[in-house]
Amino acid sequence: MKIHEQRHGAVMILRPEGPLVDQDVVPFRQQLNNVRRASLGRVVVDMSTIPFIDSKGLETLVEVTREMADSGQALRLCNVNETIREVLELTELSPMFEHYADANSAVRSFL
Amino acid sequence: MLLRGESTVASIGIALAVILLCAVGASAWWAIRTLREDAQHAEADRIRAVVAMLADSAESMMNAGELSAVRRLVADAAREHGLGQCTIMLPDGGVVAASDFSKHPAGKLVMSLPDRWSAGLNPPADQTAVTQTTLTIDRPLTINGHGLAALHVQAPIEVSVSRFWGAQAGLGVIGAGSMLALLLVYRHSRARLRAVGAIREALLAIGAGEGASSALAISADLGAEASAWNQILDQSDKLRHDKVAERARESLGDRRRGKSDLDEACDVMTQGIVLVDEKMRCKYANGAAAVFLHADRDQLHGADVRQFVKTENVKTLLDDWASGRVRQRTTIEAERGDAHFGEGVLRVSIRPVRREDTGSAMLVLEDITQQRVAEEARHAFVAHATHELRTPLTNIRLYVETALDDGENDAVLRAKCLNVINSESRRLERIVNDLLSTAEIESGSFSIQRDDVHLDALFAELQADYEAQAAEKHLEVTFNLPPKLPVIQADRDMITLALHNLISNALKYTPEGGKVQINVDPGEHSLTVDVIDTGIGISDQDQERLFEKFYRAQDKRITDITGSGLGLALAREVVRLHGGDITVQSAIDHGSTFSMTIPGAADAA
Repeated sequence: MKIHEQRHGAVMILRPEGPLVDQDVVPFRQQLNNVRRASLGRVVVDMSTIPFIDSKGLETLVEVTREMADSGQALRLCNVNETIREVLELTELSPMFEHYADANSAVRSFL
Repeated sequence: MLLRGESTVASIGIALAVILLCAVGASAWWAIRTLREDAQHAEADRIRAVVAMLADSAESMMNAGELSAVRRLVADAAREHGLGQCTIMLPDGGVVAASDFSKHPAGKLVMSLPDRWSAGLNPPADQTAVTQTTLTIDRPLTINGHGLAALHVQAPIEVSVSRFWGAQAGLGVIGAGSMLALLLVYRHSRARLRAVGAIREALLAIGAGEGASSALAISADLGAEASAWNQILDQSDKLRHDKVAERARESLGDRRRGKSDLDEACDVMTQGIVLVDEKMRCKYANGAAAVFLHADRDQLHGADVRQFVKTENVKTLLDDWASGRVRQRTTIEAERGDAHFGEGVLRVSIRPVRREDTGSAMLVLEDITQQRVAEEARHAFVAHATHELRTPLTNIRLYVETALDDGENDAVLRAKCLNVINSESRRLERIVNDLLSTAEIESGSFSIQRDDVHLDALFAELQADYEAQAAEKHLEVTFNLPPKLPVIQADRDMITLALHNLISNALKYTPEGGKVQINVDPGEHSLTVDVIDTGIGISDQDQERLFEKFYRAQDKRITDITGSGLGLALAREVVRLHGGDITVQSAIDHGSTFSMTIPGAADAA
C-alpha cells in the first residue's frame, strides 16, 4: 500500500492508496503513529483513495482514535466514501471520528 | 461488486460442446468404417463365388474345345459381375480368353488349343490375394489331354463412400439434435451455473487472501444462489463489524474504568493541564499534557516536571517559579524542532492555584503551531498584497502627474498616459477582486451566479487584453480558438477571473522571446482550456502546493516577480465551484501547461 504524505501548514495529511485491509494495516498504522508523534497529533487521514475497509482496517482506525482520545485529540478523516461511511454507521463507530468533506476543511479545523 | 462466474460457465459450456462434438464425430467414423469393411467382405465373397463358377464352366468348355464360347463366357462374366480384369492363359503366355483383349498383344492370342504344352513351364498357382481396393484370384484349369491353364481375375472391391450417405446423414441429424438439446439445457441452466461459478471464484479469492466483502459479492441477477451468497457475506460482515464495535466499546469501557467524570472531562481537552506543587512535582496531568511532554501519565505522577521539558525558556520559567522569583500568571511560547518528540509551537501558561502563596501552580500547554503558520501566512499575504496594490497605484499617480504637467499640449502623450492609467486601474481592480474573493472563500460565503457566457466574446476580450501586453514583453501569444465557440452556463466574472489568472501567470513567468499558447477545446460534455507556456517551469515540490492560498513557489528566479499567491488558489476554487478542475504539468526550464476543465452541456451558439 502506498501512503502519500503531504504537509498543509503545520498539518500532515496522509492519503493511503488502496483498500485498508489485512496486512496493509500494519504499515499504515506505523506511519500514522510516526506522523502523529512528529506533528503532535496534527494529522488528517484523507480517505479519498481508500475504496473499502475490512475489520482489521476498522480496528486500526478505532485503536488510533482511542489512543488519541486520551489526549483530547480525535482522528480527523476527510473524503470518506459512501461504502466506508456506511460501515462506520452500521458499527456505530462514526461518532468516534471527526469527519470533514475535504482536506482543506480538515486542516482549517486545527485553527 | 464484481461480475464473477462468467469464465467458469463459458468453460463448462465449451467443454460440453467439444466433448459432444468429439463423441458424435468418433461414433460416425467408427460406424462408417465398420459398414465399409462389411461391404468389402461381402463383395469379396460374391466375387469368389462367381470366379469358382466361372472356373468350372470355363474348364468344361475348354475340355469340349469350345474356345469361342469360353471367350463369350469370360467377357459376359466380367461385365455382368464386375470382375475387372478376367483372363484365361496358357502356361506359355498364350491368352485363351480375356475381358479386355486390348491389354494383351495380338500375337499372344490362342485361337485353338495346341495339342500339348509343357506342364513345367510357369505352372499356374491356386491363390487369392486381397488388398484394400482389389481382390486377385488365380485358379488352375485342368484341360484333359493338354495340361493346366490358368484363370486370373483381378476385381475391384472398393466400396464407394456415397453408399453410406444415408448413414452419414442419420448420424449428422443425431449429432445436430444432441447439440441443440445441449444448447437448450445449457441455456436453461446457465444462470445457475454462473451463480455456482461466481461462488467458486469468490471462494478461490478468499483462499487467495481476499477479505473485503465488497470484492467478494456477486451480482444478485444470478439468482437465488447469488442472493444467498451475498446474504452470507453481509451476515459475516455484520458479525465482524459488531465484533470490532464491541471490542472498541469494551476497550473504551476499560479505559474509563476508575476514572472520575472530572478526569474524563480533563482528558477530552485539547490543552494539556499539569498541576504541580511548589517543588514542581506533578500532582495531576491530563492526556494532552502527557502527549506534549512526551511521557506516560504514570511516569509524570510525582516526578519533577522539569525533567520532561525540552525547551530552555520553559525550563527557566519553571525554575523561576520553583525558586519563588515568579509567582504571577505568565505565558510564554516555546518552539520545538525535534522530529522524534514532535515539532511545533507550544503556548505554555503557568498560573497560581490558590491565592495564598503556597507555590502550587497549574501549567496549561497548548499547541498553537497551526495558528502560528496561518498567522505567518496572513502576514506574508498582507505584505504581498500591499506591494501588489502599491505598484499600480504608484504608476497611476506618476502618469496622472505626467499628463497634468506635460500632456496639456501634447495629445499623444496624454493618450499614452491615459492608456497606462486605464490598464493599471484594471490591474488594481483585479487585485481587489482577488482579495475580496479570498475573503469570501475564507468566510464560506463565496458562491457563483450562473448565466449565459458567450465564450466568443470572452476570448476576444482576453485576446485583445493580452496581445498588447505580450508585444511589450516580446512574447508570442497564440489563441487557438475553434471557428465557433458555444455559450455555456457559468459565472462570467469568475470564469474570466480564473482565465485571467492562468494567462497572466503564463505571461509573467515566461522570459522575453518565449511563447504562450492558449488552446480552447469545446468538447461535447466539457470545455477545456490549456494554457501552455515556455516559461521557467515549476518544480515537483512546488506543484504539490501551488494551489494553496498565499503559497508562492520557492524559486529564486521569481523573487523579483510580484504576486500575491492567491491567483491559482482562487482560479481552482472558482473552477471547482463550477464542477471542474485545474491541473498542472510542468518541468523546470521547459515550461508549464495548466489545463482548466469545466463540465456541463454546451449549447452551440
